[in-house]
Amino acid sequence: MPNSISLPVRPIYSNLAGYSQIGELATRLDHYEFSSISLDMRQMGWCDGNMCAPLGAVLYRAGRDLNDIDLRDIPSSVENLLRKNGFLTNYGRVYLEDTFSSTIQYQRFEPQDDRIFSYYLDEQLRNKAIPEMSTGLHKRFIEGLMEIFSNAVLHSETKMGIFVCGQYFHQQHRLDFTIADLGIGIRQNLLDKIGLKLPADQAIDWAVEGSNTTKRGPIPGGLGLKLLREFIRLNHGRLQIISDTGYWEQFPDGRKEMTLLSNRFPGTVVNIEINTADQNSYQLSSEQEVDIPF
Amino acid sequence: MDKPIPLKIYEIVGSEFCVAADDGQKVYDQIVLALKRDLQVQLSFLNVKRLTSAFLNVAIGQLYGEFPEGLLSSHLSVADMEADDRELLKRVIETAKAYFKDPARFNRVRNRVLGEKEDAGE
Repeated sequence: MPNSISLPVRPIYSNLAGYSQIGELATRLDHYEFSSISLDMRQMGWCDGNMCAPLGAVLYRAGRDLNDIDLRDIPSSVENLLRKNGFLTNYGRVYLEDTFSSTIQYQRFEPQDDRIFSYYLDEQLRNKAIPEMSTGLHKRFIEGLMEIFSNAVLHSETKMGIFVCGQYFHQQHRLDFTIADLGIGIRQNLLDKIGLKLPADQAIDWAVEGSNTTKRGPIPGGLGLKLLREFIRLNHGRLQIISDTGYWEQFPDGRKEMTLLSNRFPGTVVNIEINTADQNSYQLSSEQEVDIPF
Repeated sequence: MDKPIPLKIYEIVGSEFCVAADDGQKVYDQIVLALKRDLQVQLSFLNVKRLTSAFLNVAIGQLYGEFPEGLLSSHLSVADMEADDRELLKRVIETAKAYFKDPARFNRVRNRVLGEKEDAGE
C-alpha cells in the first residue's frame, strides 16, 4: 500500500551543510517507492539556484521509483527563483521570465548529449547579462564545464542522465554552475577500474591530483580535471566535488579541504564557482606560436 | 615529399563542437586509415569552435598507443587552429606520450589492438 509522507527542507546553500542536507534527503527517499512524498519547504528561506542540479537529481531518482513528489509551501522569493530557472516546471509550476538575467536554466541531459550541452551553454551564457566576463574567461569557463560533462559521461556510468543548473550572483561577481550525475561515484570507480580502495573523500583527492587516471585502455586520460583546477586557481574561484560520502573543496586562496559526509550522495556533484570580475587574460595571442610536439 | 591529405575535422564531425569522445573516434579512424597507407596527414581545424580533452584524447592521444612517435611526428601536421586550442592539443599529446611510456601499457594496448584485428580477419 502506498505511503504518504512529508519531509522538511531547510535553506540550501552551496556549502557543506547544503550538500549534507541533499545527501540526507537522498538517504531518506531511498526507503520509499510508490509513495506520495511532500517536501515541506516552508523553512526554506533560500536556495542557491545552482543547487537545483543535485536536488533535482535526487528527486528524479525518487521519481524513478514511482514516487509522486510534491513541493509544498515554498516561500515566494524561493518559488520565484525556482520558477525562473525552470526547476519548478518539473513539479507543476509555470515558468517565470527572468528579467534580471541571473538564472541559468535547470536541465537534465542524456550522457550522449555532449553537443546539445555545448549549445545550451552558448545559449544560456550568451543571453545573460554578464558584461564583466572577458572573452578569454568566458571561453575557459565553458571549456571547464565541458570537461566536467565529459568526465561524467566517461566515468560515472550513469543511466539516469546528467543534471545541470547555474546562478549568477551580480553583487558578489560570482557565477556558480553545478553538474550532478547519478552514477557509480569516484570511490567505486577507483575500486572497479584499478582496484584502489580509498575512503570517498580521499578518492576525490586522488582523482584531482596530477595526471592520475583510472584509464587503462587504449585511450589516455587524466587531463580534464587538471586543466579545470589550473583554471579555477588562476581565477581565484572555488571548486567543490561531492561523490558518495566524500566532500572535497578548493577555496579561492588555493587551500583545499576534504571530509566525509554522514549520508552519501548517490553519484557525483561538481560545482564551479568563478570570479566573474577576473581581468586575467586567458587567451593566447593567435600570433603566439605553440609548437605541436607530435 | 607528397602533399599531405587534408582531414577537415569540422566535416568529419559535422559540427563546430568537437566535444564528444564518439566524434573523436571518427577522426581517429580517418587518421589511422591514412597512416596505414603511409600518407602525410594535415588536420584542419577550420571552423571548429570548441574542443575538449576528451575529444582530442580519442582523436589524437590514442594514436600514441598504436604508432611510434617518430612516425606520427613525420606524418601529422595541424592547420587553422587557434593558439588556445594548440595549447590544449599540446597538453593532450604530452599526456598521451607519458601515458604510453609505460611499456607494459603500450604492449598491452598494442597486443589488444592487433588481437582484435586478427579476430576480425585482418
